[in-house]
Amino acid sequence: MTAAERARNRAGGRLLRQAVAGQRRLVAVGAVLAVGHQAGEALVPVLIGTIVDEAVATGSGAALIRWLLVLAVVFAGLSACYRFAARAGERAAEQAAHDLRRRLARRVVAPAGGAETGRLPGELVNVASADAARVGAVNMAVTAGAAAFAALATTAVVLLQMSVPLGLVVLLGAPPVLLLAQVLGRPLQRRSETEQENAGHAAGVAADLVAGIRVLKGIGAEGTALARYRRISRSSLRATIRAADAQAGHDGALVAVSGVFIAAVALVGARLALRGDITVGDLIAAVGLALFLLGPLSIVTWVNGQLAQARGSAVRVAEVLDAPPAVPPATREPDRPVRGELVLQDVADGPLRVPRLRIAPGEFVGVVALDPAAGTALVRALAREADPAAGTVRLDDRPLTELEPAAVRAVIGTAQHDSVLFDDTVRDTVAGPGEAPADRVRLTAVLAGTTVDELVRTLPDGLDTRVGDRGRALSGGQRQRLVLARALAAEPPVLVLHDPTTAVDAVTEAHIADRLRALRAGRTTVLVTTSPALLAVADRVVVLSGDADPVTGTHAALVRDDARYAAAVLA
Amino acid sequence: MTAPLPVADRAETLRTVRTLLRPRRRLAVSGFAVLTAATAVGLLTPPLLGHVVDLVAQRRPAEALTRPAVLLVAVALVQAAGTALGLGLVARLGETMLADLRERFLDRVLRLSLRRVEQAGAGDLTSRVGNDVTVIAEAVRSALPELARSLLAIVLTLVALAVLDWRFLLAALLAAPVQWHTARWYARRSSTLYSAHRTAVATQQQQLLETIGGAPTVRALRQSDAQVDRVVARSTAAVDLYLRAIRLLTRFYGRLNLAEFIALSAVLAGGYLLVGAGAVTIGGTAAAALYVHHLFGPMNSALRLVDDAQVAAASLARLAGVVQAEPPPAPHPAQPADGAVKAADLHFAYRPGHPVLAGVTIDLTDGETVAVVGASGAGKTTLAQLVAGVHRPGSGSVTIGGVDLADLTDADRRRTVALVTQEVHVFAGTLADDLRLARPDADDDALYAALADVEALDWALALPQGLQTVVGDGGHRLAVTEAQQLALARLILADPKVVILDEATADAGSAGARVLERAAARALRGRTALVVAHRLTQAAGADRIVVLDAGRVVETGTHDELRSRPDGRYATLWRAWSRSR
Repeated sequence: MTAAERARNRAGGRLLRQAVAGQRRLVAVGAVLAVGHQAGEALVPVLIGTIVDEAVATGSGAALIRWLLVLAVVFAGLSACYRFAARAGERAAEQAAHDLRRRLARRVVAPAGGAETGRLPGELVNVASADAARVGAVNMAVTAGAAAFAALATTAVVLLQMSVPLGLVVLLGAPPVLLLAQVLGRPLQRRSETEQENAGHAAGVAADLVAGIRVLKGIGAEGTALARYRRISRSSLRATIRAADAQAGHDGALVAVSGVFIAAVALVGARLALRGDITVGDLIAAVGLALFLLGPLSIVTWVNGQLAQARGSAVRVAEVLDAPPAVPPATREPDRPVRGELVLQDVADGPLRVPRLRIAPGEFVGVVALDPAAGTALVRALAREADPAAGTVRLDDRPLTELEPAAVRAVIGTAQHDSVLFDDTVRDTVAGPGEAPADRVRLTAVLAGTTVDELVRTLPDGLDTRVGDRGRALSGGQRQRLVLARALAAEPPVLVLHDPTTAVDAVTEAHIADRLRALRAGRTTVLVTTSPALLAVADRVVVLSGDADPVTGTHAALVRDDARYAAAVLA
Repeated sequence: MTAPLPVADRAETLRTVRTLLRPRRRLAVSGFAVLTAATAVGLLTPPLLGHVVDLVAQRRPAEALTRPAVLLVAVALVQAAGTALGLGLVARLGETMLADLRERFLDRVLRLSLRRVEQAGAGDLTSRVGNDVTVIAEAVRSALPELARSLLAIVLTLVALAVLDWRFLLAALLAAPVQWHTARWYARRSSTLYSAHRTAVATQQQQLLETIGGAPTVRALRQSDAQVDRVVARSTAAVDLYLRAIRLLTRFYGRLNLAEFIALSAVLAGGYLLVGAGAVTIGGTAAAALYVHHLFGPMNSALRLVDDAQVAAASLARLAGVVQAEPPPAPHPAQPADGAVKAADLHFAYRPGHPVLAGVTIDLTDGETVAVVGASGAGKTTLAQLVAGVHRPGSGSVTIGGVDLADLTDADRRRTVALVTQEVHVFAGTLADDLRLARPDADDDALYAALADVEALDWALALPQGLQTVVGDGGHRLAVTEAQQLALARLILADPKVVILDEATADAGSAGARVLERAAARALRGRTALVVAHRLTQAAGADRIVVLDAGRVVETGTHDELRSRPDGRYATLWRAWSRSR
């Protein structure tokens, strides 16, 4: 194991301990009650033996009633213990998982960023749901494990009190029996796990084909898709049947081994009873306890498996929680009042190279990046999503790296091309969740300027229509207009828009271009785009070509004089 | 507007199950026979133990114990072998039926008309194929074998009790009313609670995906706290429902504990009386008590699984509803002569009184590319869908190569007309498999040629395993532009006469849009094409342009003709687009 792996495992272990420590009261209550439950379960076969011995064999009615009352008390106790133990254990598990989920969500959206680096969203969601649940489930495992050990101890005491040799046969016999069943079953079970994974594949493929049904039908590929699915479904079926056979073999092995064990206990117990060392009732109890013992023992192995799984999950959760920030933290706030001047000096980041660029307060500037990746890098740098590898970006003479990331974003608003919508009403999306529209006139102007007002008229509940998960209730162009309206309505002193109208039709784009300037009057605006309709309304256009100082000029002049520019925006 | 897919009633569901079961009757009978035998043999254990007790009580010599001990071992081995074999057979039965069901289901789903799919809503289908299939699979894999074993154990144990003495059976059955009542009480509450919990978990997942997937946007809008609050709220809702389900489950087991006590004490008291009357031995009583004690596990499982069975039955009804649905009647087969498209006087409304198209007539000659331009809501997408046959016009007609669209079979229509929209989907699997969906017999060279045509060959070859790279869900993620290039490459491979592109280049950034426009132009070569364009450069490259406004054609002509009309709608647009020219 490398030092890095050891450190990761240590962090995972720490997280696991925290998860239990955070719920210690519930875990303690649950464990104590679960012990009570298992002890009660262990007592039931003992009491059956006792009743046969003391009442049935002797014919004593008083003894029968006395012992049945004891049985009633034991049942009431074990039932109540189970009920509250399960509730405490499950509550502890769920609360711990919930707590992790909250911390993970907070970490991922933290202003400093960095948790997503190198991880797909699906992976992170999996960490926040499945892994968090597995770590939380440790609490249930601890509860159950304590109870299983207590049950083993209770059984041991009862059996040893009855007869030392019989007790030893059962106690020393049970673990090897279970081990044997495990050894017999392990290769089968291991195979079963990989097969089961394989088997899940068919379901995934079906869901994937249905998700793309419009695309399939669009090109008439249903027949091909179905033939492919049949093949996968059949190979999945073969895998599942192999897995089921393995599982059935394992179940059978368990039946055989435990049956032989019971026969052995019965034989030894009966010999002892014949010699008068134990009573007939003891014999019955011993057989019952031998059977019962397999329960707690299998719980111990289950707990073991849970802990192993939880350790792996805890490492993954800890890695996300401890992920290094994408931008180094800083605490300073931007100077107020904000003038809105941006200066880039010797900035270099991948394809982005800006020796020097100054954007004056209140300027409305178009930026054309001949390499689209340079445009993306520029927008990310201005949003402090990622600091450029070299050079400085200054806001009102203050390097962005000295400013707190969230505070930067309060001043420099950005609408990146891949901005998403959240499942809110149109009103909340544009005006911000829960905020009263501060200025109704402004809001109306923004809605009109982005043609969202037209869109709203076609929606069933107007401004109160929900946009659906990720805005899925809307078309791509409608989503893009809402993203733009949201960015404009926030009225940041500096606004950076990245390709805001690529999915919008030409009529609407022309309308938006006409009104954009008025909506940003007096505030700095940077439009990273190649849309001629938008660039035509900018004060000036800066062309980032990746080599020398940026070329600057009006759209009209650049189209006339710069062939590369004309090709980039008008082709 | 939305019309969910049908759900089968009880008779139809049973019919589906019978259809699936019929070819495997022998497997079913032998599986259950073996399991029954194994369980029956297993029930010999308590009487053998009882016999041991009797031998001890009668103070017989130790040698007498050998025979029952050997028998106990034999019983265990036979029971074990039978259990393994029986479970294997039952699993084989369930799994093959399940595979048949899911294949039939997918077959029917893929045959549904696109119109029907749109009506049903994506959620309905996704939940049936994802959720319902999983629920049934889990039931088949875990609940069904356990239920079968438990029920067999219960029935045979009760028989064994009766064999010992019929009065033992009566004593044990004293618990039945409590169990019956508990099962009904539980099933009533659990289904709704569990389905609410599943919904809450799904909502929580969706929220996590929204918050985590949109993290850069969340940071940009400084909505971190609000988003975390949403995650917490969804998670809390799921946790609360889960804990309610646990409370219900523990109350359920509490009631069953009472039933266990009733049965056990009744049998013991009965034994006391019967031994007193000399009707049974002490060993017989011990065996009866052990029987009842052994009954606890299977009884609890069976009663708990009633709920799982109910949920699985509901899912089955939803799958059976689709499987049983009649396929649409095949119209008269006819073959289009060429790719000429005539749309005559099309009217269409999603809601009565709100016409989206009000008399649109367009002719496309074979091989012509026509661009449709207009503001949002002008009816462009609707027109595209009518020509593609997704929707039927309210009035008017669409013919392709002289054949009315309504007279083409679904399969023929799709071979003739392809529709590519801005909705991209990369199918999970290798890149080659994804492309071969469009033409299964295409060789690698054809795939390379198609990729080269859409300018995708460079990135495709740069993928870790080239054409064999796994893409889509769970594989290498393609950028939006790449995914759309893939869609156009599939189009080239599918090789239809007529192509409808509905803003197929919209979701890519501006740089991507240009690549896609070039790719689209190449994919359309030699085909008749109706292109809904949002970038005017794409329209300018078309043979002819149709300007739609409020559901009507307001202008039509070539780019140059339309541009030179002084007050024309297109001319105004073009000036706005290229103000500087």
